[in-house]
Amino acid sequence: MSVRAAIRRVLGGALTLVAVSVGMFWTAATYDARSVVRRASPFAELPVFFNDHPVGVRELAEAAVRQVARGRGSQAVAARLQLVRLGGAALPYVLPALDSLDPSSRERVALSLTPVAVRMEIASTDELSDGAQAVLFWTRFWQDRAIDFRAAGVRHLTTRLAERSIALRREDLIHIDTFALPALIEGLGEVSTLDDVARVQRLNSVLAHVTELPVRLEPGASLAQARAAVDTWRDFWELRGSEYAPLDGPRRLAATFVETQYGKWLAAVLRGGFGRTQSGETALALVQQGWLTTSFLLFVGLGGGFPLGVAWTRFERRSRKFVWRYASAIAGTALAAIPCATFVRAVSGSGAGFFGAACLVTLTTAAWVSRHLARSTMSQSVSPIAAAFSVSAPLGATYPPFVLSAIVLVELAFGLPGLGRTAARALAAGDVNAWMAASLALALGTLLLRQAADLIRPRAATPLGARAR
Amino acid sequence: MTRELSARRRAALAASAAAGLIAIATLLAPLSPELGAYARGLEFAVLAGLAITAVAFVVAIPLGTLSASGPRVFDALLRFVCDLFGALPTVFVAAVFWVWSSGTLSYVLAFGALRGLEQAWLLRCEIVRLEAEDPDSVPHGLGRTPLRPFLRRRLPAALGPLLVSASFTVAWLTALDAALTQAGLRPRVAMPTWGLLLGAPHPSPLPALLAAGSVALLTVALHALFRAPVKPNLLP
Repeated sequence: MSVRAAIRRVLGGALTLVAVSVGMFWTAATYDARSVVRRASPFAELPVFFNDHPVGVRELAEAAVRQVARGRGSQAVAARLQLVRLGGAALPYVLPALDSLDPSSRERVALSLTPVAVRMEIASTDELSDGAQAVLFWTRFWQDRAIDFRAAGVRHLTTRLAERSIALRREDLIHIDTFALPALIEGLGEVSTLDDVARVQRLNSVLAHVTELPVRLEPGASLAQARAAVDTWRDFWELRGSEYAPLDGPRRLAATFVETQYGKWLAAVLRGGFGRTQSGETALALVQQGWLTTSFLLFVGLGGGFPLGVAWTRFERRSRKFVWRYASAIAGTALAAIPCATFVRAVSGSGAGFFGAACLVTLTTAAWVSRHLARSTMSQSVSPIAAAFSVSAPLGATYPPFVLSAIVLVELAFGLPGLGRTAARALAAGDVNAWMAASLALALGTLLLRQAADLIRPRAATPLGARAR
Repeated sequence: MTRELSARRRAALAASAAAGLIAIATLLAPLSPELGAYARGLEFAVLAGLAITAVAFVVAIPLGTLSASGPRVFDALLRFVCDLFGALPTVFVAAVFWVWSSGTLSYVLAFGALRGLEQAWLLRCEIVRLEAEDPDSVPHGLGRTPLRPFLRRRLPAALGPLLVSASFTVAWLTALDAALTQAGLRPRVAMPTWGLLLGAPHPSPLPALLAAGSVALLTVALHALFRAPVKPNLLP
């Protein structure tokens, strides 16, 4: 095979894998959407592949201001809570808009920001109990402190706090509240030394304060605890990050893809580990646990089933008696009917699981191969081995999904911890990250098997005038 | 010399096997609810198997033929689509079909179309293989393949893998259904099939054993029906 052909194959495989990942994600989203009780994915509210109306902090803040200004009701209460949650990140859009509101609406909005002021440690509840007072406070605050709400300045403050802990530096960041979140998350960095643990502790204290989330990192925390805290904050940012950042220009364009379920999953993949499963471990770790069982079954199925199938065909062909020919076909197809739970229950004792599963996959493969060979190349002048090579391309295209379905089935029936069972359970539970990791591993196996079958296919000399394929 | 059955006798054998099963199911159905479920499962297996095979052939034959003999881009497209659908174990595709389809009929039709894609690739590969192995047998007329010789000679010769694949349809459908039941991916409202009997525990093993045996018998009957006659030795 030429280098050009090899490159074409690799690129084709990569393109197929990307398309497969899209299809699988659609599968998971479709299956998850059927749940009327609970949507398992935290990103279930986002569009699957394309977000035609991405929402950033500006849109959220403006909508909340409108609701609060409108008056009472459950929507106004929810909007007030939203403003408090958005905190400092929303101030650059809320405070300049106060002037455009009528006096009573202005007071309602200013009063709804009182918990934010308390969290920012710039005023007490008593100081802002009156509407007019609150309006005056926020107007002056914005006149004095608007300059602090600049990304570059915040990044500088975060870097200084990450380097050394001084109370004043912490206060500076608390004064700008959630506006500092992007810089704080970015500042967490990698955790590999005790210095990193100390840095994460300093930043974690500000993060926990401004978000009011109960993420604690006690003094003297270990590397693992610090890493767990960083992972928690990254997960939070993945889920809520867009609500604390404005979507302007190219970011809005990018958000049409990034702020989707697929975009979020892809971001988790790029972060490494294929994201986190519902049980808290990385999806990659789940694949590492399951691949051995599936590979073992696949190896046994291929290694044992193909020679057995070829031998089967040979016996069937040489058999002189009509009844023996059909007897082998009957045996093959009877064993191909593997979903017999009764049979499974009979052989699956303690420790018999792997043996029984391996036997079933091997015999299913043998039955499948022998039937194809018997029907495709019954000419007695061709040996079954030559026939197997000859038909490897079409068989290679259809065998992998067949055998992988059989493996999934026996893994489920025997309770074996393989990729198939992991994928099936993840799909049923709506665990997108686990599903994608396990099913992509299966898809990769299928594609590699197909490519291998295509490679071992003997190339017939292309006759003149015939199309080369 | 081995005695071979004629196509007519094979068809009669397959039909009598199916008829025998239906007669047994009809007799057993009133005895218990589980045997009634077995009888309904048989009805589903036969009808769904026929529907899937029919739809698959309708999809596979034109697509496979076009891919083997038509424009190159069509060939690449079919391969890509087959890679896409084949990359995932069929059991998961079946789970989505159950969710996505509005009823049993659309589920069966979607399955038939999926199987048709797989069989189209089988057909395409077989046509190309036969053409490469025995180019002299390919009728060509001024750069194109005449339709009538193609339909009379090449297509029947290339249908073998499709027929083998079709004979696995009932076993394949039942296996998928059982796997879906075991994985908890099958909707509760879906109609009772053999997959339910085989995939979920029942107080009596008899219906499950009957279902498993029936799957095997139907598959064997289909193999017998689609079996090719043994060709004589081409070489001395």
